[in-house]
Amino acid sequence: MKKILHAVVFTLTTFVLPISAKAQEVTDTVAANRYTVHSTMFGLGSTNQLESYLSPFEYTGAQISFLRESLRMTRMAQGRISYQGLFDGYVGCATGPEDDGNELGGSIGYHAGWHYHWTPSAQWRLMAGLQFGGDIGFLYNMRNGNNPAQARARIESAASVAAIYKFHLGRHSLTFRAQTDFPFMGAIFSPNYGQSYYEIFSKGNYDHNICFTHMGNAPSFRGLFTLDFPIGGYIFRVGYNYDIRQSKVNHLKSHVYNHSFLIGYVKHFSFHKHKEKNPNRFIL
Amino acid sequence: MKLHTLYIYIMLLAGISCSGCIREDEYDNSPHGNLYALWNIINEQYCFLDYKEQTLDFKWNDMYAKYASRLSSSMDSYQLFEVMCDMLSELRDGHVNLYNPHDVGRYWSWYEDYPTNFNEELQRKYLSNDYRIASGIKYKILDDNIGYIYCGDFSTAIGNGNLDEIMHYLRTCNGLIVDVRNNSGGQLTNAEILSRRFTNKRILVGYTAHKTGPGRNNFSTPEPEYLEPSTGIRWQKKVVLLTNRRCYSATNTFVRNMKECPNVTVLGDQTGGGSGLPFCSELPNGWLIRFSACPMYTARMEHIEFGIAPDVNVSLSLEDALRGEDTLIEEARLLLNISE
Repeated sequence: MKKILHAVVFTLTTFVLPISAKAQEVTDTVAANRYTVHSTMFGLGSTNQLESYLSPFEYTGAQISFLRESLRMTRMAQGRISYQGLFDGYVGCATGPEDDGNELGGSIGYHAGWHYHWTPSAQWRLMAGLQFGGDIGFLYNMRNGNNPAQARARIESAASVAAIYKFHLGRHSLTFRAQTDFPFMGAIFSPNYGQSYYEIFSKGNYDHNICFTHMGNAPSFRGLFTLDFPIGGYIFRVGYNYDIRQSKVNHLKSHVYNHSFLIGYVKHFSFHKHKEKNPNRFIL
Repeated sequence: MKLHTLYIYIMLLAGISCSGCIREDEYDNSPHGNLYALWNIINEQYCFLDYKEQTLDFKWNDMYAKYASRLSSSMDSYQLFEVMCDMLSELRDGHVNLYNPHDVGRYWSWYEDYPTNFNEELQRKYLSNDYRIASGIKYKILDDNIGYIYCGDFSTAIGNGNLDEIMHYLRTCNGLIVDVRNNSGGQLTNAEILSRRFTNKRILVGYTAHKTGPGRNNFSTPEPEYLEPSTGIRWQKKVVLLTNRRCYSATNTFVRNMKECPNVTVLGDQTGGGSGLPFCSELPNGWLIRFSACPMYTARMEHIEFGIAPDVNVSLSLEDALRGEDTLIEEARLLLNISE
């Protein structure tokens, strides 16, 4: 856990903050016009699931996912703070190490983030901020008769940093983004070590079923890399998303490691309330 | 921005990614690795270890060494299965099963070693062909105006509307026989739905607990279990509950609940037991293990893992059977008619 904390502090102090001194002035017309970038992506990739409540073994398989992103500048801090909404979900099917059992898992979640922007050059935009959100999901072991499923629900607050790089390839303008979010505090639902769902839901016997999480007992993070490129007047996006969700509460170990290759499209919207003197639509 | 800062950024992400992975301990997929995994699952998650050690006089800590001595690296899966089943049979628990592709390891002595006290042919003489069925429950009014209900399974959902119909149909009877012989369990909720018909007030029927960690003594504080009276039609007259050794698991809990209800007399043989709510886990070779995980107790915090004794002990007699009579049903009718 210390390593992770040091990493966060080191990133913010050595990488992000010094650049802020060189930040350029940003007009607030982008915020005033509610210039918004929407993207919808669909993914395909691998999943690795461990839920010691159901089985002590890791199940591996394939998953499909979606990621809907909304990004716009706000009027806060003279238009230097953006709002990002991430709506995502996945469904995966995994097989046990001996091919004797299958698990079906899925989740859906929403995270809202606010990032402060630095623009050290016309090509670079760096972002750091906080994210709040949660997700609900399930894991169903098709083989277990008596404790076949585990419900998942969590809320979390996360530190989020991103770097955006805009460049040209020939006549085409491309945008690369790298973002990582690491939750540092939250709460998670979990049955107790040997507690049955019959006891929780039929009898109403609760026992530490809402657990406080932090980077020590739930070291989780998400990395998102995307590349936007135009084709025939439309903007498409390809990306890679790794979503690492882990927890160790009530002596129960759980993880979901999802790796997805994503493809989708991007749409830019604005209301044009104010005329932009120097149009700068470079958010993403 | 210099490129090296981007490298630092990426390296930091990679560093964070590689740290703090939450994974389970791994066991070898060898005879010894599988036996140890099985021993450890029971050691950490089985809920009756202390109770079984006291009543059956064994030490689980010695079991791995005892059965590992029978292992060899060249043994086949059939031989390994036999060794594992022998180790599990020390627990004498019908909820403990080992599933592999060719067999199911089991302990069924809880009923196999005892007389059945139930004969379907004899029961058919009482039910005849004109009995009714609702939610899997067979019911009929016997000749002496005693109601008879047979519930042979708690796996089928029992509807409150169905129970209302049954109770309404039997309302004019002088007494009621509830027969759960050979009912080896199912859903606890079904057992509870039926037992709620026999109390007019909220009553304490037992306690339940669960493990809170892998340690031997990591148990939650037992939570009281109350039986709420049904809002539908409730039975107000005498009831005789017929039991035998095949009453197991959810049926054992049903009998526990019914013993706390007024006007209920349990007649027959001791139930089979099975008071631990089962969980499942897996071994490195893919075999599935089922075991008792959450203990249930009576209202006086007594164990019912080995069954519940009846109020009136009655066995099926050969003489009665030859006459085409079910001794338990006849005794129950006698008891209800005398009470009346």
